[in-house]
Amino acid sequence: MELNRRSLLAAIGAGTAAALTGCGTGTGTSAAGSADGPAEGEITLLTPIYEGAKGKKLLEGDILGGFRKKYPDVKVNVDYTTYDQLNEKITTGLAGGLLPDVLMMGVGWIPPFAAKGAIAELPEKLAETHDYEKRVLEPSRHDGKLYALPVVLDTRIVVYRKDHFAEAGIRKTPANWSELRAVAKQLTTKGRVGFDPFSINLRQCWETFLFANGGQLFSADGKKPLFTDARGVESLQFFKDLVADGSADYSRKTDTGAPSNVQTGQGSMMMTTSALWVQVKEQNPELIEQDKLGAFVLANRRPAMLQGGTLVSQSASSKHPAAARALVEWLATPESILGAAQQRGSVPGLRDLSDTPYVKENQFVDLSLKNLQHAVSEGGTAAWMEIREKIVPTLEPAIVGDQSAKDAIAELGRLAEAAIGRM
Amino acid sequence: MATVDTRKPVAPSTAKPRERGGRRPVSPGRIALYITLSVISLLMVVPFVWMVITSLKSPVEIASQDAGLLPSSWQFSNYVDAFEAAPFATYARNSFIIAISHTVLNVLVASMAGYALARIRFRGSEVIFYLFIAALMIPTYTKVLPEFLIVRFMPLAGGNDILGQGGSGWLDTWWALIIPGAVTPFAVFLFRQFYLDLPVELEEAARLDGLGEFRIYARIMTPQVKPALTTVALLTFESSWNNFLWPLLVTRTDSLRVIQVGLSVFKTENGTQWHFLMAGTTLATLPMVLLFLIGQRYFVQGFATAGLK
Repeated sequence: MELNRRSLLAAIGAGTAAALTGCGTGTGTSAAGSADGPAEGEITLLTPIYEGAKGKKLLEGDILGGFRKKYPDVKVNVDYTTYDQLNEKITTGLAGGLLPDVLMMGVGWIPPFAAKGAIAELPEKLAETHDYEKRVLEPSRHDGKLYALPVVLDTRIVVYRKDHFAEAGIRKTPANWSELRAVAKQLTTKGRVGFDPFSINLRQCWETFLFANGGQLFSADGKKPLFTDARGVESLQFFKDLVADGSADYSRKTDTGAPSNVQTGQGSMMMTTSALWVQVKEQNPELIEQDKLGAFVLANRRPAMLQGGTLVSQSASSKHPAAARALVEWLATPESILGAAQQRGSVPGLRDLSDTPYVKENQFVDLSLKNLQHAVSEGGTAAWMEIREKIVPTLEPAIVGDQSAKDAIAELGRLAEAAIGRM
Repeated sequence: MATVDTRKPVAPSTAKPRERGGRRPVSPGRIALYITLSVISLLMVVPFVWMVITSLKSPVEIASQDAGLLPSSWQFSNYVDAFEAAPFATYARNSFIIAISHTVLNVLVASMAGYALARIRFRGSEVIFYLFIAALMIPTYTKVLPEFLIVRFMPLAGGNDILGQGGSGWLDTWWALIIPGAVTPFAVFLFRQFYLDLPVELEEAARLDGLGEFRIYARIMTPQVKPALTTVALLTFESSWNNFLWPLLVTRTDSLRVIQVGLSVFKTENGTQWHFLMAGTTLATLPMVLLFLIGQRYFVQGFATAGLK
């Protein structure tokens, strides 16, 4: 097993945090003070989004500007971090007993931090304040209770080159994996790869395939890995089959932000996020102007679109719970969500916003919003922060080496069981 | 009277005439060495050149498959725009203050510790030295959390009581940025090795002249280990300048953030702004390049003497 920086720190942090927070808040139910009083006091917001001067202006000027008008007695200090270091920030803050009052975190992160008693339960009425697709709120829940509200979503979809499809005489997008494999093979020509599933995070890519194959990650109580069945193995085997066909090539994956294979014409289809639209607009605007890009939701036994994103939650140990609650609600309003989504090219997870010019202009976001009923999320266990770091190093050898898909999935299953057992 | 010239006529030399200026012909081995070194140098410099060139291209040109090596239009505005994306002047100032502080503290304290371990006999010195060696083996990231907790629960700081409770300790202060990690076991080890190599006669002569221990350290021995001083100074400055995780963990306010944190705004989950990232990285690299150019003689000497790679 690869021992990397993040897994090492996560393991130490989890242990120390558990030791320091003790068993007092380990029941999973929040020990937050009442949020019923007047919203006042100085609170801190920890955020991995709103990056750079533009993001800071959006958050501290536009979004918090409105908040200050409504809640003049609340002062908000913002602690900007990156997603790569967010877990370390939360873990050290938790261990040190100084967790920020309001925390933004990723999809899949709610069960681990709710189980540790780090974040506070939110009233169920907040789930009905806005027009949420039911699926969108699932990553915000733990044991059926609401702990967070979605701010922005990032979906995983398949983007393809319409001109390559037309050139090959392909008239419709693949409806299942056998069609996808055949189309990828057909499109592998002139030095192109037919399908590039590897230029997004392998964990998220494999999960999308797992869900599209009708599989699941964990049991409903989060105590048992379910991906070790045939569905999980088939999902990984599909990548190996594509590589064996020559229609996918792990060595030709591109880095986040670098021109993707579909942009450069070196690939005809790729797994990507809805944020690719913004990148294409900046790097290859002609592809949009000439309508050369299309997108569809991956499907096999069922259509599935992995839903990541950023959620906002309230610390269970906030000294100003009313102010923290008010900020959580404010950051999840349609106005706040739309601004954050526009800045990142993300999906605003509210049906209220599906007719806005931003959504209509960004075809990948539009497609994602129209398919939110097919959205599925990663996580679902309190041990997720540890397991998520082990997925890529465990599955990668099966794709680039000789290890069988069955063995790699079995190994991942053992690691997941061990991590869950330590909870 | 006839004279006879007894000097032997000079025989025409069969040896090759020496080249003008007394240069010797270059041997094939040396040519091979130069070629190898040139190739290695080229390999080392290409990423740097690529970084500078990319920093001057537009996003469209970076993405283009048909673009040449040099930008078709030089986008110097990338540097201005990158600077506007985050308060880089503040970040650079902070990085500079932290790096200088770490360098001064490390050179000063580690050289004293190294001197003591090498030249002063006292009970337990061997054990202490082995503890320093053991400390070298501890991975950096396993120390992050304990160090964070020490900083957080620092007594009588940031509103904390004598037991370290009630406030935030050194968090979000210069203390947290400068004190932890200021002195490294590696520097102590390096200094000890250098001080060990100095002749004992030097120290004895100084003692006979009536110098005390501190003056022997400061006036006699330390000037002899200049390569070690330069090596430790450069390595400390470089590591401190590039530090990212620790400053991010222990600070909250923008006014205490460092340049590496500033660069991270160009690389997000949803994409990377390569033109800005390369412009910012070029600027962030400059101080290190300048420092190396200034101190490279001592730096190389230090590494060669210490047998380090």
